[in-house]
Amino acid sequence: MTGLLGHELRLLLRQRIAVPTLVLVLFLSAAAVWAGMAEVARQHDIIARIKPQQVEDVNAVRSWASKDGDAGNAAYYTFHATWDAPSPLAFAALGQRDVAPFVLRVRALALESQINEGENYNAEMALPGRFDWAFVLTYLAPLFLIVLLHDLKSGEREAGRLDFLRVSAINERGLWARRIGLRVGLIAGGLILPLIVGGVLSGAAAADLLLLSAMVLLYLLFWTGLCLLLSRRGMGSVANAASLAGSWLTLTLILPALALLAVNGAFPVRQGVELTLAQREAVHSGWDKPKAQTMEAFFRHHPEWRGTKPVEGGFHWKWYFAFQHLGDLSVADQVRAYRHGLEARDLWTERLAFVLPAIGTQYLAHRIARTDLTAQLAYQDRIRAFHKRLRSFYYPYIFNDVPFGEDDFGRAPLWLEDAEGR
Amino acid sequence: MTTVRLVADNEWRLMRRSRVAQLALLILIALSVIATLTSIAHRDANDDLRARFQAQADQEFDGQPARHPHRMVHYGHFVFRPLPALAAFDPGVDAFTGSTIFLEGHRQNSANFGDVRQSSLLARFGQLTPAFVLQVLAPLVLVFIGFGVVAREREAGTIRLLSAHGVTAQSLIFGKALALGRVAGLMLAPAVAALLWLTFLEGAPIVAALGLGLFYAVYLAAWVLIIVIASSLARQARTALMVLLGLWATTVILIPRVAPDVALAFAPVPTRLETDIAIQRDLRRIGDSHNPDDPHFAAFKARVLKQYGVDRVEDLPVNYRGLLALEGEKLTSRLFDDYAERQFAAERKQGAIVAAFGLVSPAIALRNFSMALSGSDLDGHRRFLKQAEAYRFDIVQRLNRLQAEAVTFGDDSNRNKDPDAGRRVRIDPKHWHDVPDFAYRGATISEKLESALTGAALLLVWLVMAGFGVRIAIRRLEAAL
Amino acid sequence: MSPEIAQNDILYHVSLNARPTESIRQYNVALTICGNHAIKVFMTTAPTAAPRISIKDVALTRGARPVLRGLSLAVHAGEVYALLGGNGAGKSTTVAALLGFLKPDAGQILVADIDPVENAERARREIAYLPENVALYDQLSAYENISYFMALSGKEPSRDAMDAALDDAGLQPEARALRIGGFSKGMRQKVAIAMAVLRDVPVLLLDEPTSGLDPRATADFNALVTRLKARGTAILMVTHDLLGAADCADRIGFLAAGQIVEEVVPSKGMDVLALHHRYGEVAAA
Repeated sequence: MTGLLGHELRLLLRQRIAVPTLVLVLFLSAAAVWAGMAEVARQHDIIARIKPQQVEDVNAVRSWASKDGDAGNAAYYTFHATWDAPSPLAFAALGQRDVAPFVLRVRALALESQINEGENYNAEMALPGRFDWAFVLTYLAPLFLIVLLHDLKSGEREAGRLDFLRVSAINERGLWARRIGLRVGLIAGGLILPLIVGGVLSGAAAADLLLLSAMVLLYLLFWTGLCLLLSRRGMGSVANAASLAGSWLTLTLILPALALLAVNGAFPVRQGVELTLAQREAVHSGWDKPKAQTMEAFFRHHPEWRGTKPVEGGFHWKWYFAFQHLGDLSVADQVRAYRHGLEARDLWTERLAFVLPAIGTQYLAHRIARTDLTAQLAYQDRIRAFHKRLRSFYYPYIFNDVPFGEDDFGRAPLWLEDAEGR
Repeated sequence: MTTVRLVADNEWRLMRRSRVAQLALLILIALSVIATLTSIAHRDANDDLRARFQAQADQEFDGQPARHPHRMVHYGHFVFRPLPALAAFDPGVDAFTGSTIFLEGHRQNSANFGDVRQSSLLARFGQLTPAFVLQVLAPLVLVFIGFGVVAREREAGTIRLLSAHGVTAQSLIFGKALALGRVAGLMLAPAVAALLWLTFLEGAPIVAALGLGLFYAVYLAAWVLIIVIASSLARQARTALMVLLGLWATTVILIPRVAPDVALAFAPVPTRLETDIAIQRDLRRIGDSHNPDDPHFAAFKARVLKQYGVDRVEDLPVNYRGLLALEGEKLTSRLFDDYAERQFAAERKQGAIVAAFGLVSPAIALRNFSMALSGSDLDGHRRFLKQAEAYRFDIVQRLNRLQAEAVTFGDDSNRNKDPDAGRRVRIDPKHWHDVPDFAYRGATISEKLESALTGAALLLVWLVMAGFGVRIAIRRLEAAL
Repeated sequence: MSPEIAQNDILYHVSLNARPTESIRQYNVALTICGNHAIKVFMTTAPTAAPRISIKDVALTRGARPVLRGLSLAVHAGEVYALLGGNGAGKSTTVAALLGFLKPDAGQILVADIDPVENAERARREIAYLPENVALYDQLSAYENISYFMALSGKEPSRDAMDAALDDAGLQPEARALRIGGFSKGMRQKVAIAMAVLRDVPVLLLDEPTSGLDPRATADFNALVTRLKARGTAILMVTHDLLGAADCADRIGFLAAGQIVEEVVPSKGMDVLALHHRYGEVAAA
């Protein structure tokens, strides 16, 4: 059997178009992995770089805010860094990490006006999409497969070899299976090999790499099936190539674009802006409401501070932080609706992933690489949890009127590398 | 000339008989129509929504009760970027840039709620817009229809027959190009209709619409010539198809994705977080308002006291706290402008690198040109960011001036201790009405033309290069006849 | 338009060659003289050993067009049968049916006792097939082509065996390691014949083997066919080249409108020209 495969390999490699195609697959896949790893390294660098800068920034606040020990000042002026380190497989599918922040500073103030902050990025660079491994797989791999498979049988027919070949083979199915297997296998190898190398270098889980490799095979199998199906109509190589390229255009460009129209049209998410506007109104109306009313509303959610010294005078941080938090609570429904809108968009994308293979590979790759909308929302969830810890840290100082000393700055919750960082 | 017409008519007849060609063209035109309709509806809805939000924000600002001016500085304002009419033709980076910014004192917030961040990764497959259909899909459909125009005649041997009837290589190639050009014209038709619609019903600038129509035609013409060249040079139709598919995939799909990677590597931009920290650091160096012994603010105080000829801030005719706020805002704003300019410069450098790739990819050249003329390029967004920042500075300083002039220093200092003072610092809400609303000024047509220049030049270079290619193809075909 | 035939003219030699490889067979030969114009030769009844190729009453329709209408013929071991026919007579359909590519509507086909309709792959194992235009892999050498196709049929011939077969086929040694992209039609055919020799199977199917060959190459080819015949291979040669068929065939069947209208046994000195005219008439019918 290896003998036969060896023969087929020699035959394939002597074809004019085969070697350049295979070399190109390997080159593009390796280049994409390299580019992805460079981008991930850059993101790691940024995360590492911000830590000392953050310390310096906190120290600057500490130097003056610790003097009078007012916990309110500390809570108001201190920013706390959060970050979402790229997963080991992020290099394969960079996803939304270029358009959503992966480092974000928050304060113990109302969160809803902080959590949707954007990142400085060049939109024109993001517009065409990133050149990463998932792109090579989803868009380019089918094209290469079409190059090698569109004339599998029709090419033999056009060369006048088909009958002779079929008569010569004692196992005709085996002959085609070997030829298809060889071509699919070589392209799959060209795609998977750089992925595995990149994955091992990045410390990705073997199971994830296996899953991605299985996905490669499945995706290629789909396109192989389509190639065989279309070539069963017995058309010439030229017609096969044209109809396959047309299918490629439809499946990877046109249908996903139509799907985007449908999904985004079905689930509008204007709540994002609405809740931001509403939250500002809620927070700032706090200045004009009677303080007792504000505090009462706050105590309903945080009864543990009910017994503390009542607010007197024109201003107290207790009151300030209370209406900040009430501002967040007042838009909780809209936050949930906004979130549901985003999740519905993602859910329908997932459903489409089962129908459209191009969406399927993108969805699965980004899911495994944790670079999709779900990952972005998960990061926001971790920020919310962290923000809660921040409030829980500052509240005892503020509500019990405990002076906030120099050392207390060091006691503030830190973004946990393992639990929250990824 | 008549032979050219004859060849073209004959090819045209063949294309009309080809079910594949008809189907491909029909699908493209259908997509183009769908894209046009949805894109116009999408733009109108988005623009309406933003206008409504803007009106709501303006109203809410004006409707604020009596307050301390500094409360209003932090209450802030929302501004929304309106969508130009031609964004319905080419929305450019609109989905990638946030459409609204919250403006407040001594902070610069990001533009938020861009469509892409709010979408699943479907958004990265590309949006179905008239521009996308013509930039990406149309060339490929032209390839499908046209790869065999000359190669097929060569394969079938009919080319010698034509030659025997006196058809020259030149008239053959020109005729085939003319026939394929008619197909391209049909593809362009829905887009032209869209541009007419946008010009006459939605008030798009006519020069920009004209430029768009013209240069999309140049782009498709370049593709028509490239296809005819490849079809003439290839000995087999299949070779022509493979070469053209490869060319399309490389120039339309691959290079536009690789170019930004190169650009980002050459001109990196720091994250917002780092910029934030850096601005704070610079601010502390220039003048730390929290430090009572800060030399900058000490000098400022001395200058103010000297200017008014008094010894104590309490004796100033104006509220010193307001003056401090004015001075502080001036410092931060200068830094914001500084850092923004640095970022814009880096972005422009990135943009220039990608634009240079237009030499190897006409799709990039056209994309840049199209976004620029549609007013949906990054320049447009930068213009919004700059105007928003200028507006922010303006309203914050107005409010700070109110604090300096309409609130006394005594009241301001005792507002939290003395309830009466606390009441007095809340100034008449008519002042909020006096703050002007944000009016976004879009790019003028000359500004648009200026930023579209590179793309237009590159497209013309492509057309000229294709023209040279045609001459080579004619010479080669003459030798083959 | 057949020529006048005199009563005593011997038009056809009916020769019964006893083949050493086979048991004695009996042919019942019927000569029918139809007026002054023609003689029909019928060979009825089968020999005692089963034929290697057997086509019985086969009818086959392609699309709406009936191509074979009750075709029957048999080729025995060590026999060369030439199937002659004009364009559209059903020659290539017969070949395709023998190879199992087409399924007859009626009748039975057996190749080495295997029904190619039911078991095409097993039948093909018994057949060496030489297509009209031998197309091999241009990017491989003669040796590589042979070892590739042999591998497909489950054989791994040594270099010596290949050389012996190529000697048989008459391909000059210096060409054997070259890529066959530059080979002439005759040279390619020799490579394919070498494969047929190496296959060492009981049935050889030749599709227009001498079309496009010059007279010298045709003569070489016919000599080779004769050598293969001597090894006991049953050879069915589909051709419209009467001259070539007359040169090496044991029997010639005229195929017209999907059936054998006439079968003759050529002999030395027979009037090929007369046969040629006759053939033209049959083809026109």
